Amino acid sequence: MNCPDCKEKLDRYVDRELSSSEVVEVQLHLEACPDCSDQYDFQAHLKRLVKNSCDCDHAPVAFREKLRQILT
Amino acid sequence: MAESPAQTAFAEEALTHLDTLYRGALRLTRDPDQAQDLVQEAYLRALRYQHSYQTGTNMKAWLFAIMRNLFWDRFKGSRKEDVSLDDVGEFVLYDKLRDEGAKPEADVLDKLAASEVVEAVEKLPPLHREVVLLVDVEGFSYKDAAQALGVPIGTVMSRLHRARQQLQKGLYDYAVESGIVRGSTSKQQ
Repeated sequence: MNCPDCKEKLDRYVDRELSSSEVVEVQLHLEACPDCSDQYDFQAHLKRLVKNSCDCDHAPVAFREKLRQILT
Repeated sequence: MAESPAQTAFAEEALTHLDTLYRGALRLTRDPDQAQDLVQEAYLRALRYQHSYQTGTNMKAWLFAIMRNLFWDRFKGSRKEDVSLDDVGEFVLYDKLRDEGAKPEADVLDKLAASEVVEAVEKLPPLHREVVLLVDVEGFSYKDAAQALGVPIGTVMSRLHRARQQLQKGLYDYAVESGIVRGSTSKQQ
């Protein structure tokens, strides 16, 4: 695998959407290529940052109770 | 509303996904009151159309599909409105920061406030925002995201790629505005 191939697969690697054989190919490349490895670390970090920033909102308790009363 | 124990059980199971629906509605509408209205309407519709849910399939994706379809119908009026998916070009924050001599993670990502990231997500066009919410925030697989959005998996992948490009551009702009990076005359966009 070369760098363009790795970059093309990086989104799916970060999202755990590659097949197991593709995962091995990417992993082997990342171990041998500091540039792609840095880029992977950055993309994975960015994905975690988006998740951690956006998933802290929860439905208000009063709203949850209101829905439960309406629906059940 | 539930008229049988089975309906009550269905409603209870559906309510286990409330936080995901609420977060999605909040990010789509950007308004807590509108988000609650949207989610309540989605749950009422889900119960009304309970028969169309196939047991064993992904209930969270099914509920999200109902909610986001209501969003497009009620809040956007027409699916053709506000669906600009203009590309920002191949803007890759990582490359740009490296070109400017910054350490992309330590110098930028670690210094961005959660509120700035949320704001950057909320500035994405809705069609991009919803795919980021599903895959990056809620952890949907591409297949489940495709089900929730009613599009092929390839469309999920292409929208996600473009959404991330736009998000990176937005975060770069925040980083420049807040002085985290100095910024420079952009060679791309």
